[in-house]
Amino acid sequence: MPQNLLLWARAIQAVLKKDALGEYRSRYIFASLGMFTLITLSSISMSLGGADLPASLLAALFWVILFFSAMSGLSRVFVQEQDAGTLVALCIYAGAQAVLFGKLLFNLILLTGLLFIIVPLFILFFNVQVWHWGEFAAVTLLGVAGLASVSTLTAALVTPAKGKGTLFTVLTFPLLLPQFLAAIQATKQVFSQVTVDTAYYGFMLGYDVSVIAAATILFDYLWRE
Amino acid sequence: MWRYGLAIWTAVVIWAVFYLVPPAEGLGELVRIAYFHIPVAWVSVLAFFAAAWWACRYLKSGEGQDDQKSAAAALLGFVFCLLATVSGAVFAKLTWGAYWNWDPRQTTIFVLLLIYGAYLVLRASLEDEDVRARISSVYALLSVVTVPFLVFVIPRFYASLHPEPIINRAGNLDMDPVMLYVLLAAVIACSGIFFWLVSLIASKQKLSAVKVKGRLEG
Repeated sequence: MPQNLLLWARAIQAVLKKDALGEYRSRYIFASLGMFTLITLSSISMSLGGADLPASLLAALFWVILFFSAMSGLSRVFVQEQDAGTLVALCIYAGAQAVLFGKLLFNLILLTGLLFIIVPLFILFFNVQVWHWGEFAAVTLLGVAGLASVSTLTAALVTPAKGKGTLFTVLTFPLLLPQFLAAIQATKQVFSQVTVDTAYYGFMLGYDVSVIAAATILFDYLWRE
Repeated sequence: MWRYGLAIWTAVVIWAVFYLVPPAEGLGELVRIAYFHIPVAWVSVLAFFAAAWWACRYLKSGEGQDDQKSAAAALLGFVFCLLATVSGAVFAKLTWGAYWNWDPRQTTIFVLLLIYGAYLVLRASLEDEDVRARISSVYALLSVVTVPFLVFVIPRFYASLHPEPIINRAGNLDMDPVMLYVLLAAVIACSGIFFWLVSLIASKQKLSAVKVKGRLEG
């Protein structure tokens, strides 16, 4: 079994490397994600004119901005394969599971990178004080993991559909809502300088694990020709 | 034959709701809305699991019939969900004073509405029959995994104005027996109507598929 596991890990790594290299050459996804974030953040900040916002509103804004920025780029991982006509071939060579996890990791890395843009800008624009950096990191990473896993599977679902971009957001939002609400509540506690309820960590972790488990079971059925 | 039985059963339930059930304390005649609202809301949840069940069967068997049933359940779920939302909003306005206040069950039904809506849009935007069946089945099953989390997460955020479930946590029934039996009968009638409509829509789709195939072949 370890031999198989090693092979599997290597296949995932190869898919991840391929996507990362493609992204490095074109910089398409990261540029669009980053620009979208910048525009949303600055437009909200500008229209508020430096008003003092309560922690609950700040937490909601943070996740809404993160969600819609993510929606602007994350479907790309599968759509680009569909455009190039390489999706089926990739699944045959690497194995469907390796493709799923490679793309999932790629999206996760992208979103974590995006956090490094959003968080400083958010603090700068909205004058937020984060007291527990460890807790803030844990909450955002758990939330982003859920976002990446749901959206990787929905990205695979919308590839053969018409009107992919809009459909991607429409499909992802209701599935992500439980995680979204929990993440907002936990972030609100971070912003109001309260220790985050451990139940939120458990909940978010449980959600992430269930979605990944469901994704890995269901993904195989998508390629049964 | 069972269709006639269903029709008679439903007629009796409607009669009972208007003539047999006493006006409730505090709600008065308004309580009669509940005999529509609760069964319809029950069916919109039932349809969600029914759609997933048939989706699961489709993924295992590849039978077009299962996919058509899953799609019919989702379509009807959307309609029942709309009915539940609207009747609930009217009921809320009359008893609580506002149409919408993000009560936990309002939130859950709203999320179901979003999921059904997304499912129907997804189906509409896929052309190839086989691909459409596979992808919408996967979506139906994925939503079944995520929605139960709402049940755990929501009560932490919003206080509920909804009365306790009929069978509350202590396990005892605190409802007038006539009201309870009529309500259960209404739930059975509504579920029966749902399954009848599912088979009707699914067989109609099968018929039109056969017709199209016949036309293509000559």
